[in-house]
Amino acid sequence: MIKIEKFLLTLSIIASLGILFILTPIIALFIAVDPNTLVKTWFTDPLLSEQARNALLLTLEAAFTSSILLMIIGIPLSYFLTRYGFRGKNIVEAIIDIPLMIPHAVAGIMILLAYGRRGILGPLLSVTGIVIEDSFWGIVTAMMFVSFPIMIDTLKLGYLSIDESIELVARSMGANRLDTFVKITLPLLLPSIVAGFLLSWARAVSEVGAILIVAYYPKTMNVLVLEWFNSYGLKYAVSLSFVLVLFSLIVFILLKTVVKK
Amino acid sequence: MIEIKDLYVELGNFTLKIDNLIINENEYLVVMGPSGVGKTVFLHTLAGFIKPKKGVIRYNNIDLTMEPPEKRGFAIIPQDFGLFPHMTVYENIAFGLVIRKIDRNRIDELVKRYAELMEISHLLHRKPNTLSGGEKQRVALARALIIKPRIILLDEPFSNLDPSLRVKMLGFLKRLRKQLRFTAIHVTHDIIEALELADRIAYIHRGELKGVFTPSEFVNTQYAKPYMNELLLVYKRLKQLGIDNVNIVT
Repeated sequence: MIKIEKFLLTLSIIASLGILFILTPIIALFIAVDPNTLVKTWFTDPLLSEQARNALLLTLEAAFTSSILLMIIGIPLSYFLTRYGFRGKNIVEAIIDIPLMIPHAVAGIMILLAYGRRGILGPLLSVTGIVIEDSFWGIVTAMMFVSFPIMIDTLKLGYLSIDESIELVARSMGANRLDTFVKITLPLLLPSIVAGFLLSWARAVSEVGAILIVAYYPKTMNVLVLEWFNSYGLKYAVSLSFVLVLFSLIVFILLKTVVKK
Repeated sequence: MIEIKDLYVELGNFTLKIDNLIINENEYLVVMGPSGVGKTVFLHTLAGFIKPKKGVIRYNNIDLTMEPPEKRGFAIIPQDFGLFPHMTVYENIAFGLVIRKIDRNRIDELVKRYAELMEISHLLHRKPNTLSGGEKQRVALARALIIKPRIILLDEPFSNLDPSLRVKMLGFLKRLRKQLRFTAIHVTHDIIEALELADRIAYIHRGELKGVFTPSEFVNTQYAKPYMNELLLVYKRLKQLGIDNVNIVT
């Protein structure tokens, strides 16, 4: 009995240390916020507040667009990766995970070389009117690239958790592949879709390295935090960061509550 | 009538060979054999989930060999019943009818009729994860039978049930057969299920159909020996324990 208690006590201490590790920087940030600078940054100073609000809106919009596009690509791609075996599957899966391994500045350079005006597919993109250098779509591309493996891996886990025999039963009941996918697979995948969306959205919001290379302008929150830190100092950078962290926390708590319901 | 001719399936190193097998209308065929001999592969090939390398599967002279599962009219019930966890019992039973775009009122009427037949009317609003093994099985049977399939493919349907429930469900399935008359292939490695339910017993060993027998023929074959020995062992032990008369409650 005593042994179990000791065991639980040890676990609790380690778990608490873990929470403390993640919580301390958040508390430190909240403590460091200067209310006057915060008000000035977001409301009273016309120049600063316009920059801050635009950057926040842009970041959220680009991260949302990136996650929606990843979801559209990820649902069929993960389906193929989990439901079918083919030669070279391991290589494809390794390629998908590359953004997890490389420095994000390198990712930015790779994106420029592929989709930039002078990149491999740049001319093709220009025909459709999409230019990624210093544009909204450049930010979205950078966000998509770094969030790609997170969305795919989350959806893959989701597909793997669905018992395939259920899909086979649906087919034997007369449902074709599409009906089976829409009526059986997709509803069961929904929690993973939400999780994948949430995680890739969070990853996209936090991206800075690749965005700095591909699209410095228009400025996202992260780029602006860096710029203000260098130009105006810590106080102003903290005012920006505080709102971003607060916003992310609210979004995560809300979404997790919705998913649980 | 379902006719299987020169069927040859290859899955990696595993092969399944069925030279000739005919399943008559309203026949209940039990496929027996030890674990891992290809009984489930056989069912999945019939259902259309596995494409054979060679051979023909016909229903009343219509070649179904290359038809996709949804066009065969063969309803499968897997070992774990395969209920759709996000749907209620009602929605599960109605699934095949909804896919066929049957009129809503007609669906409602049929679902209620089959639920009554399966004695699960009180469960229609429940989700599968709140049901017992026996209840799940009745839902799976209702869902399969309601579409009036050409054949029902049952993959070890009793293996997840405890003994008392198994006996109950055996009795229930026998009564249901008398009431509804349907064609079925029932895969099992349980001799009691086979003898209780089968019109005929097909025996598969090492990926090959060894023969098709009536139950009384089967018990005298070499294939039945291990199963019969097991039954005799139980019988002898019961005698030793002085239990001569056992009442079976179904």
